[in-house]
This record gives sequence, structure tokens and C-alpha cells, in this order.
Amino acid sequence: MEPLILLEELTKNYDGKVLALDRVSLQVYPGEWVAVMGASGSGKSTLLNMIAALDRPTSGSVWVNGEDVLSLSEEERARFRREKVGLIFQHFYLIPYLTALENVMLAQYFHSMADREEAAQAVHEVGLEQRMSHYPSELSGGEQQRVCIARALINQPKILLADEPTGNLDAENEEIVIAIFRRLHRAGLTLLFVTHDPQIGTQADRIVELEHGRILPTFPAKALRSI
Amino acid sequence: MLGCLLAKSLWRGKARTVLVVLSVATASTLVSAFLNIAFTVSEEMAKELRSFGANILLVPKSEPLEIAIGGLRFVSPEESAYLEEGELPRLRTIFWRHNIVAFAPFLSQMVEVEGEQALLVGTWFDREIPIPEGKRFFAFANGSRREVAPDKGTFHTGLKNLSRWWQVEGQWPREDEDGVLIGNELARRLKVGINDRIRVAVEGKSVFLSVRGIARTGGDEEKQIFVHLKLAQELFKLPGKMERVQVSALVTPDNALAARASRIGPANLPPEEYETWYCTPYLGSVIYQIEEAIPNTKGKAIRQVSEAEGAFLGKMRLTFILVVAVAVLVALLAVMATMVTALFERRQEIGLMKALGADAKQLGLLFLLEAGLTGMGGGIVGYFGGLALAQLLSVRTFSLGGLGFSLSLQAAILPITLLAAVSVALLGSFFPAKEAMRLEPVKTLRGN
Repeated sequence: MEPLILLEELTKNYDGKVLALDRVSLQVYPGEWVAVMGASGSGKSTLLNMIAALDRPTSGSVWVNGEDVLSLSEEERARFRREKVGLIFQHFYLIPYLTALENVMLAQYFHSMADREEAAQAVHEVGLEQRMSHYPSELSGGEQQRVCIARALINQPKILLADEPTGNLDAENEEIVIAIFRRLHRAGLTLLFVTHDPQIGTQADRIVELEHGRILPTFPAKALRSI
Repeated sequence: MLGCLLAKSLWRGKARTVLVVLSVATASTLVSAFLNIAFTVSEEMAKELRSFGANILLVPKSEPLEIAIGGLRFVSPEESAYLEEGELPRLRTIFWRHNIVAFAPFLSQMVEVEGEQALLVGTWFDREIPIPEGKRFFAFANGSRREVAPDKGTFHTGLKNLSRWWQVEGQWPREDEDGVLIGNELARRLKVGINDRIRVAVEGKSVFLSVRGIARTGGDEEKQIFVHLKLAQELFKLPGKMERVQVSALVTPDNALAARASRIGPANLPPEEYETWYCTPYLGSVIYQIEEAIPNTKGKAIRQVSEAEGAFLGKMRLTFILVVAVAVLVALLAVMATMVTALFERRQEIGLMKALGADAKQLGLLFLLEAGLTGMGGGIVGYFGGLALAQLLSVRTFSLGGLGFSLSLQAAILPITLLAAVSVALLGSFFPAKEAMRLEPVKTLRGN
């Protein structure tokens, strides 16, 4: 089977001083849930940014869904982000002056055309049908993150990329959000998470551990669960 | 979605929006005021300036050689050529008849007044004339004819309307009496006052006339004596005749077309240019139309007033253009500064939009539409502000018509003002928008 994400000898060096990624190679297959773990500064978020075409590596290559991401122009990278990946951030990043529903519709608008019914359905699927017309400031952290999940999924991406998606959530909301991810995984969506929390990592099929920008030997998550 | 995004973004940045609206409104107020003054106040000022005298002199086509010394004309009677008084109402039948503000005929000869030589001038003091009836056709060079419905009723004219700056002590003589208006200098020399009777001798015949008014004009008229035209015609034995007519007409300052028509002759203009020239109230085209209406007449431009008017209005326009240019530049900088601040405040939002897949075109459209709408708001405020400013300037600075002077809502000014306002907002937002498109999402989301 062809990998959905293929990273080869990926290196990112910030101003020649900080080596964030050091010859990282990784393959992620369709339908797989991979957790990228490591301490702060290990290069987890940098790796995710490379896959999401938000940043460019110093060397190496990034292939996603058979597309050489590094060869894309700025306009094509924007198109790649809106069509191929769904992004979820630790700090949510919702537009504060738009309601929950409008935040979801915004991603639709950049993709093609906003569809209120479809956006409402996406918000419904994350259990926020009662909160559609609420502004981010009127939502709890967990609710905001669920809006972000709805926004990330609205354009039916190939891969869901999440950077510390439960990092700002309490235990109760964390469980709700993880349950949604589990459901998405069961539905066949490819998930790649960045987290430093082993509890979250154990939910994945596979854990990739980064240390000082280098991948440590990969092991299946069930091995961690059995410890 | 775009409308919602724009509306909510503008509402959220209320302070910024108001600042940009005010900056643009300031510039567009001046643009609107300038245009109003250029279109309307200039016209009013032109009328005011026109009140300082005639700008067209009509003489017979076969005008004799005339020598004028100190306002006195020396032409032998047998050499003189005359115009017919009866043809004068035709002045109100030309294409630009509504621009004919006033006119007065003149017939003069040297006479003896109380033993002194003086120029006696016959004229209309204050006359109401019927406008000739019948439809008029104006033929153009391309062969087309335009039918113009005739005016009806009467037209009020005469020296009193033509020379509004004259100061008359006593009163203007009536048309139906043997009263005279005497120049101040002549009255002083003859030691005559209001209601005094003076003896006027012409070719051995004497008549006694009553002084109704004494005129101060600041010109040669102060050495002359004015009677109504019919009396002068009787005294000079020239019934129905007049030797010249002064006309006050509202005209447009000459431009390149008017200059070319004057140089090569209107008949030699290409048909389209001829029609444009004919249908524009240049001094030359008004004279041309008068000569068409009264065939044995030759019109001459009295350039003094029209040139002074043109020069004054030209300087006024230049001053306004400079003020408007500076205001537009300041507004541009203010918009730019505000938008740069907005860009800094919204960089995370922009980064997020890019991360969600917004491309440069979508972001550019969003920013420029925001700027355009804000500019439009500023333009609307500025348009009405400009009307008010022009009104204020007309009353306070130019003393035009007092509060009664109303500025018409010129249809062309609103779109021009809005265009200027939107352009200022767009230009001021262009570089910040370009910068926004270059922001790297990974840096802005990290907060760098």
C-alpha cells in the first residue's frame, strides 16, 4: 500500500543555529492514527507544519497523497491546505467575531462556497447544535476545540493534523474530544497527532517519538499501553 | 459568507473603521467642496463678476472708423452706421438665450448742456420687452436641426440691470418721461442737483430736461448725460436707431476648442467639434449666435471682465486643487498608518485564514473590500460635508447670495467624490494588504 504521508531525510535548521528536525524519515498509511510524541522543543510541531505545507524544510522531501509538497507554489500550497488537510491547533484559533457556525463556514468559503446546512451538520456531529450561534468567547475550551474539529473536517480532508489538540482541555473535555477522534479513525480517516501526553498517545495505532529533532525507534501504541 | 465576514470585521474594528472613515471623509469633504465650488459657486461668482459690466459689444457690421477720446466719440453723422432697435428682442431667441443676463442699446452724440459740450447717451434704463414668439430651429454642421420651444412672456433688461455697480443718487429715470441721469462729474461742473432742470441744445434745437439721478460709476460715464433711447432718437432725428449694444452674458472660460474656433473660424471646425463648440457657452459661440440672430451686427468681446474673471477663478481653482491634493495625501497616509496597525493586530487572524487555505486573492479581496466599503462610507460623509463646507465658504468667504444661496446637488459630484474616497482608501490599504498576503502562517500562529 502506498503511504499517504512520506517524509524523506527531512531537515529543518532555523538560521543555522537551531536544528529542529534532523534527517527525519516517516511513512503514514491511509487510515492510520499516528501520534508524534516528544518533549518540548523536540521538533514535533515543526514536523506537523512541514506536512501541512505551513513551513518549508531546509532539506529533504515531503509527499502527501502522492503530491510533492515542496514543489508547490504558494497558491498551490494554499489549495493543498484547504483540500488535503484538516488542521487542529492547541490554542484553537477561532475568529473571535464569528459564531461557531460561521467559523466552520469560513473554511468552506475558502475552499469553494459556504453552505450553511452542511456547516450546521458538521457542528451537529461534534455535539454543538445548541451552540451554533455562540461566539468563541461564549464557549468553553472543549467546545471551542470541537468547533475546530468541525472546521477541520468540513472540507472532507484526506488527513487530520492536530497539534496538541487536548493540551488546553480539562479531563472531561479531553475525553469528549478523544471520543470524536476515535470515531473519525473508525470511519477510516488518517490522523496524525502531535502530543507530549502519553495518555493521548496510547489512543493511536503507532507512536513516533522525537528527541532533539531525530526519530527514535518506532513502536506500536499497544506496546505503550501494555506497560 | 463574504458579506458576513466584512460586516463583522468592520464592526469589530469599530474604532479603526471610524478612524479610516474620518480620514477619508476629511479628504472627500474637500474634494466635494471643491467640486461644488468649481461647478456651482464659480457660476455664482461668474454672475457676480458679470454684474460689473457687459462682456459683449454689438456694433453695426459696417462700423465706421471711430475716434474716442475720454469717452467722447468722434464720428461724422454721414459716416455712421446704425442698428435697428426693433431687432434687439431677438437676442433672447439664440440657443444660449438663457445666458443673456442683460443688455442695453446706446445712441450718443455730442450736445450742449447748459453751455458746455457733453456726450448725450440714449439708452434703455429699465425696460420690459416681449420675447418674440415662434419655434426656433438650430441647424448644425452635420445637417441636423434641433427644434427649440420658444420662451414666452417678457424679459426685463436695461442699463440698470447691466451696470449694477453704478451708484445712483436720486432715482433712475423712467422710460416714459423726460428725465435724465447725469454723471457725477458733469453735475458738479454744471452745479446741478436732483430735480433741477437743465437745457440741452442739439443742432439749434433746445429742450429742458429734469435731473432724476446723479450717477457715480468710476468711469467716463461720470462726464455724460443719459436719457431714454426714444428721446435721444428724436433729438438726433434717428428714429428706431441705435449705434451699439452692450450685452452681459454668462460664458464658460475659453479652452483649447474655443481658442481653435477663434483661430481658424468656427466654420472650419470638424462637424462634431463645431456642434460641441456651438452648444457650449463660450464667449465666441454666444457672439456667433447673436450675429446669426441679428445679421447686420458684429459682436466684439469685451475681454476685460471675462479675462479678469477667468484669471480669478483659475487662481481660485489652483488654490483649491493644492489644498485638496494635500488633504488627499494626508488622508492617504492616515489610512495607511491605520491599516498597518490593523495588519499588526490581525496578523494571527490572517495567519489562521492562510492555514485554512485562503490564498492571496481571497485575502486581498477581503482587505480591499473592507477598505473600499470604509472608503465609501467616508465618501458619503465627505460628500455632504463638502456641500456644507461649500455653502459656508460661499457665504462667509465669497459673500455669495447670503444664506439664501442654495447649492444644487450636482449629480456628477457624488460619484466623483465616492470614486476619490474609495481610491484613497484602496491606495492607503494597498501596501498593508500586500504585506498581509506575504505573512507566513506558521510565524503568525506562533505569535512571532
